[in-house]
Amino acid sequence: MAQIRLKNVSKRWNNFVGVDNFNLDIADQEFLVLLGPSGCGKTTTMRMIAGLEEITEGEIWIGDRLVNKLEPKDRDISMVFQSYGLYPNMTVYENIRFPLKVRKVPQEQHHERVMAASKMVELDDFLQRRPAALSGGQRQRVALARAIVREPNAFLMDEPLSNLDAKLRVSTRAQIKNLHHTLKRTTIYVTHDQIEAMTLADRVVVMSKGLVQQVGTPMEIYDRPANTFVASFIGSPAMNLIKGSIEGGVFTSEGIRIEGLTLAAKGPVTLGFRAEDASLAQASGQIEAPIYTVELLGDATMLSMRVAGELVSIKVNKDYRAEIGELARVAIPASACHLFDHSTGARIA
Amino acid sequence: MPNKTFFAFILPSLIAMVLFIALPIVSVVVQSLYVAHERVMVQVENCQPFGGCSTELRVDAAATAELQREQPLGRFNGLGTYFNRAHLATDELGAILSSDRSFDQKVAQIFNLPFYKALIFTLVYCFVVTPLAMALGFAIALAVNALPKVTKGPIIFFSLLPMIITPLIGSLILYWMLSPNGILGATIQHIFNDPTLSLRASPVLTWTALLVYGVWTNGPFSFVVFYAGLQTVPADTLESAMIDGASRWERIRYVIIPHLAPLATFVALVQLMDNFRVFEPIVGFSAEANATSLSYLIYNDLSGDAQQFGSAGATSVITIIGVVILLMPVLIRTWREFKLKAV
Amino acid sequence: MSDAVAQKRPLALNAIIYGFIVLWVILAAVPFFWTVWGSFKVEADFFSRESWWNAIFGTSTTRQTGNAFTGAGYYGAWVLRDFWRAAGNTIIVTVCVTVISLTLGTLGGYALARSGRNYAFWILIAALVFRAMPHITLVSGYLLPFFQLNIWGVLPTSIIVLVAINQPFTLWMLHSFFLSIPKDLDESAMVDGCTRFQAFRLVIMPVMWPGVVTTGLFSFLLGYNDFAVTAMLLSAENQTMVPKISSFLGSIQETGNVMYAVAAVVSATVPLFILVLFFQRQIVSGLTAGAVKG
Ligand SMILES: Nc1ncnc2c1ncn2[C@@H]1O[C@H](COP(=O)(O)OP(=O)(O)OP(=O)(O)O)[C@@H](O)[C@H]1O
Ligand SMILES: [Mg+2]
Repeated sequence: MAQIRLKNVSKRWNNFVGVDNFNLDIADQEFLVLLGPSGCGKTTTMRMIAGLEEITEGEIWIGDRLVNKLEPKDRDISMVFQSYGLYPNMTVYENIRFPLKVRKVPQEQHHERVMAASKMVELDDFLQRRPAALSGGQRQRVALARAIVREPNAFLMDEPLSNLDAKLRVSTRAQIKNLHHTLKRTTIYVTHDQIEAMTLADRVVVMSKGLVQQVGTPMEIYDRPANTFVASFIGSPAMNLIKGSIEGGVFTSEGIRIEGLTLAAKGPVTLGFRAEDASLAQASGQIEAPIYTVELLGDATMLSMRVAGELVSIKVNKDYRAEIGELARVAIPASACHLFDHSTGARIA
Repeated sequence: MPNKTFFAFILPSLIAMVLFIALPIVSVVVQSLYVAHERVMVQVENCQPFGGCSTELRVDAAATAELQREQPLGRFNGLGTYFNRAHLATDELGAILSSDRSFDQKVAQIFNLPFYKALIFTLVYCFVVTPLAMALGFAIALAVNALPKVTKGPIIFFSLLPMIITPLIGSLILYWMLSPNGILGATIQHIFNDPTLSLRASPVLTWTALLVYGVWTNGPFSFVVFYAGLQTVPADTLESAMIDGASRWERIRYVIIPHLAPLATFVALVQLMDNFRVFEPIVGFSAEANATSLSYLIYNDLSGDAQQFGSAGATSVITIIGVVILLMPVLIRTWREFKLKAV
Repeated sequence: MSDAVAQKRPLALNAIIYGFIVLWVILAAVPFFWTVWGSFKVEADFFSRESWWNAIFGTSTTRQTGNAFTGAGYYGAWVLRDFWRAAGNTIIVTVCVTVISLTLGTLGGYALARSGRNYAFWILIAALVFRAMPHITLVSGYLLPFFQLNIWGVLPTSIIVLVAINQPFTLWMLHSFFLSIPKDLDESAMVDGCTRFQAFRLVIMPVMWPGVVTTGLFSFLLGYNDFAVTAMLLSAENQTMVPKISSFLGSIQETGNVMYAVAAVVSATVPLFILVLFFQRQIVSGLTAGAVKG
């Protein structure tokens, strides 16, 4: 049983706010991802849960214990660090065994559990090496094995994949997902890579500047971003955001006009749509503008054009070819549009 | 790290420093305000069989000892010690300065005041030895850096010797070589063709010897630090300077020296601090007749038969103030940086 | 790289470089060799009125003892003048000072490196100021209280005083070594189930040895080379080598046995030679660790 509950948790250094009033209930066995740009307070949040950082304000509960004053060792969690934190003077085997040793797990269980953990991350061949003699991916797996060997209440992982190359990242990601499925432990995972967040998470917490922006399943966050920050942070390319005004369900701005929107209000708004929701129109489109660049991605072609001073991306068929400067007409269905308050950025429709 | 853990870890070290560094400083300040008791005198009647009686003043040894035991610090003297002849000598200094003697004579007279004699030597030692030792160290570092790899190890080995040698022993070794019958002393007499020239007889020679010793023993530290710094000079900057047509000297001037500048500040600071407490060489060279230092004055006060705690205390306090003045630039800079960080 | 560059250097420059280095090595090393060589001669040779060649060939030594070398100075110092006792005291003092300094210093340096708080910063600054204090000024603060407490003259007092004087430097140096060990390491250990102290002992100390050895060398040097503290705080029978040598000077020069002092000086220098021989790398790395000279 390890739900983790954060109540009004804040962290300040002098007068710099690292994390501001964080509230969240994490269910038992949930895979929760903290996502956000660099410096937004993800690591700080995780370190407060682990007990490595003092909490300035608020409460953290693990299971039914208030852990504010507990030492990290008494919180029964394990953590994978961004730079792995392997003990350089111990072999892989000793590294994995270390938590069992300091927690006084009976000696006779050690070997079996170390072997089980190392098997799970496919490390059996390297047990007698020192960390210095391992590749980045192998070190990463040692850190994972060390975290899982003692079967804690919860796993915390701080950007565990950020030091790996693209290919290893994909396979280790799959491994982590699979481990979570087998071990069924609450997992909190920090990343600034949205693909990791999307593929791994049961729920995602998007943070910015110490504040929670949105909490939801990956699909919710993708389909209904709570504000312009989330909209522009999630998705590749980011959602196109155009400032303009709305009146009677019609959005207009320089070079763009979209009808049939459901919002009755009137006044300045920000309109958003995703590159893949737009398509090329034959006769007349919502946007008509000269092409700024054409990028061939392989599986698709990305067009961009200038609309209302913003560069807008449109994803089209991979066979589409056009010259820079050519006029393109783009159709944007009203149903695919998101509307945000023009000043606060909060979602209004 | 929580406060409790932090203090649990650092407490032993902190206690040691407070007890044996901070408190002694306080104790020194207190001592400097006291002087030894005057001896207790008694009148004794002294009657001789044929000469009648006379009264006489005598030291009452028992009463003096008693007083000493009751008030070991001595009697309160305020700042008196600071201004007496052995220290700041304000009266004497005023008299000398207002007299109408020539400048040279004034200097000579000031030099006869023990405190100023020590202060002048200490400052000269500090500000001559430090730059010269740094220049020597830098030159050695440049030269060693240009040598083939195999020779570097042994040269570094020999270079370290003057630095790690016990200061008293190092100065004794040089002193013996410089004595009139030693190899250097005899050579110097020969060169100047003056059979009476010796450390004892010549203040100039004594000062030179002390300064040379200072450079000799301080140079290696600069050398090691600069040599390590040279290893980190970015190769591509050097190479691009070469391509830009910079000569050897220009490369040193515009690439290497700026790169080593922060290290040089560090070295200068450390050496100034160390040279300010110059002491052992004066004992080693038996130089006290011609050159003394602040530290030596304190040592001298403390090591006689009658230990003059008040006098030693006053010199110590003045010395400590000197150290703080030397450190001031660093402290101010640190304080500023700290302020910036806090805002 | 320097080999390739060396070929391009003009001959004259090379000559200057080599000449300078040879000159420096002579300046740095010859005084020591001269004194070591001379310590095996009689006084009339080491301080020769006629010619310093006598010191090399041992003319008077041969005349007086029948051999070009004599151990009389060493015999006099070690046996007749009890230098062995001073050597023993030096061993006790330096070993204790090194061990205690390192014990206190590693604990404190670790705390300073891992605490991000303001007071840690101020402790470091205070330590910097303390480090700059001339030792003799502190000594003048000790004497009176130590007389009163009746702890003057014995080895433990000197040891504790040297440890304390050494603390600022030790703290700085170890603190900078600890900073170079990633914080992740102790944090992993704490999450894995260690207390702070266990993390320090089981995880950090094993990777800290190079820093400890280097700092230890400098603590050793401080204890070994000290004159101000040991000369003033030890009674005559408890003296260590350096004050003992200094007390030789007064008594020996009169009786013409200055060679005792020369022999004692050489004896006290040998351990330092050996130290540099074996720990040259650590000394160099210690000096350059951005830390402070001992
Ligand atoms: N000890 C500290 N003192 C002061 N500020 C700190 C401290 N630690 C972190 N911060 C600040 O708190 C903010 C949040 O830091 P945090 O490490 O949580 O970011 P992050 O979201 O993990 O970023 P990244 O993706 O780069 O790891 C940053 O702006 C950082 O500068
Ligand atoms: Mg982070």
